[in-house]
Amino acid sequence: MTRLDRRMSGLTRWLAKRTSRRGFLGRLGGALVGGATLPLLPIARAAQAREPAPGEPDPATPEGDPTHCDYWRFCSIDGFAASCCGGTATSCPPGTQMSPVTWIGTCRNPHDGKDYIVSYNDCCGKGPCGRCFCHRNEGDKPVYYAAKSNDIGWCFGTAGAVYNSTVSVVIGVATEPG
Amino acid sequence: MSNNGATARLRDRRRTTGALRMRRGRARTRATALALLLGLVGAGVHAELAAEPTGRVEVLPARFGAHWVWVSDALFERVSLLDLDTGAFLGQVDGGYGVSSLEFGRTRREIYLPAIYYSRGTRGVRTDVVTIYDAHSLAPVDEVVLPPKRAVNPLPMGNAAVSDDGRFLSVFNMSPATSLSIVDLEARKRVGEVDAPGCGLVYATGRRRFAMLCADGSLLDLQLDDGGRVLRKRRTERFFDPERDPVTEKAVRAGDRWIFASFEGVAHVADFSGDEVRFDEAWSLFDDDERAAGWRIGGSQHLALHAATGRLYSAVHQGGADTHKEGGSEVWVYDLATHERVQRIELANTGLTVMGMSLEFGRDWPWPFDGLYGFLLDHVLPVFPVEYIAVTQDAEPILVTATSFSGSLGVYDAVRGELLRRVVSGNMTVQGLAPSPFRGDALAADAQAPPGSAQPARAAAFAMQEER
Repeated sequence: MTRLDRRMSGLTRWLAKRTSRRGFLGRLGGALVGGATLPLLPIARAAQAREPAPGEPDPATPEGDPTHCDYWRFCSIDGFAASCCGGTATSCPPGTQMSPVTWIGTCRNPHDGKDYIVSYNDCCGKGPCGRCFCHRNEGDKPVYYAAKSNDIGWCFGTAGAVYNSTVSVVIGVATEPG
Repeated sequence: MSNNGATARLRDRRRTTGALRMRRGRARTRATALALLLGLVGAGVHAELAAEPTGRVEVLPARFGAHWVWVSDALFERVSLLDLDTGAFLGQVDGGYGVSSLEFGRTRREIYLPAIYYSRGTRGVRTDVVTIYDAHSLAPVDEVVLPPKRAVNPLPMGNAAVSDDGRFLSVFNMSPATSLSIVDLEARKRVGEVDAPGCGLVYATGRRRFAMLCADGSLLDLQLDDGGRVLRKRRTERFFDPERDPVTEKAVRAGDRWIFASFEGVAHVADFSGDEVRFDEAWSLFDDDERAAGWRIGGSQHLALHAATGRLYSAVHQGGADTHKEGGSEVWVYDLATHERVQRIELANTGLTVMGMSLEFGRDWPWPFDGLYGFLLDHVLPVFPVEYIAVTQDAEPILVTATSFSGSLGVYDAVRGELLRRVVSGNMTVQGLAPSPFRGDALAADAQAPPGSAQPARAAAFAMQEER
């Protein structure tokens, strides 16, 4: 008996034992089809993306959508956007504390085409939020280059070092690209 | 009465005929079979499990396996010890808030874990402490309390280092002023703090020597004396441009040299063999064509080294600027002596887990469904880029890979580059991989000493405190 024969007979026996259970096969088929469509989702989304990109200003959200990682102010963020965690793009979720010390990034506002210096203050004192994990890292530097490093836990000057989320506060117009 | 009856029956039997004797013979055979059966049953009764003592706790062997690796998990706040050959979970060391990274004794079978704890979980009184674990029992045997300013970041390396002579542990502080806490591991006490403005992280570079990376592109070269005080502290020349092309923090050590890779894939090598730090000529991990094709380094632990063969492993991916934290789709292997790339290893999905449980299925299903899990991982599901790589240091090394979002590890033959298996760590996530030392008998003399024997009074006090 060839290897293929053995495999096929094993497969037949296995199927024979289970063919009465149509539900099982149905579920298996569903799982396979479902699994196959999963990776299509982001691809399909990208293919259909029109200007403006999600998070950028459009008639529905003239200032952009701060619950989307593509939001222009999040260009250098690597963490949870406070706007998805009970806060807003510029305010922390209830019961947390905003760190006064931060790292900065320079982001272009597609609404007016200007570059702004954005201060990424961490919201501290509660555990990680888990929503809108934005991982953009534009202009991010290593930890030894502290002022531009988003890997540092910036919960200094607060009651505790525990990180919850991050706000993106405009602190000025950039005179030269960061 | 019964005795008399039995005697009478015996007399009767003596008068039996031959036929009767035959029948009796068959009866005896049956009786023998019955006795045998009863005997077997009796034997079965004897084979019942004996009562077992409670309270037994395992300890690890004196010699750790060559393919044992420590795997950090920020969500479970622990570091697990896995055997990559068998997939066995061997034990764990618990940490505090954030990513836990272990440091290992050079002359003692001890594990050091700097960590932050809050008295009310995520709030309350903050205590920064180095917990000293016995590498045999994995039990805490002592601790050294630090000033509450240990740096918080997700890096799996560079936050603490043990000097080559095993005497001092340096812990990186950020408040956000940067400094090092120095711990005397022999006396088990904090002996000082070294200010390091403009520099961060810490790497062991010699007997009593450490280096820090500085924001101007130089190193801070630090020598300690016998008391853990600064003997010498000086900045090196600038050896990279932190504005245009900074080196990542995820460096590897090859003897007296530390190899740093820049965002653009340039290898900068610092040589600590002499009194002065020297820098080798920088070399590139990518040629022009590869660069044009977008190949870049990236990940949270993107370099690994097999010291004996001088093979440098680098996780690489195709991406644009600012993708220095994106994981690899391949590992490229370089010969450190020639700087030539000698191998490309295509990486597979490390596997899927939820809450530390494997989603692996179908291994015992018949062909072709037995390969369904691997097929889905390789061809259907999105690839989670490999952010962490490490290589064991034995003669038949293993390349182990991980991604933050799964507790499953990819295990490869580090020489041939073949995926051997996937191992489920039990972690919810992975934030660092550290092949374990304690493989040989170099520490055998120290292994004889019971844990805490260096400081019996302190060990006793610590044990009492733990019981409270």
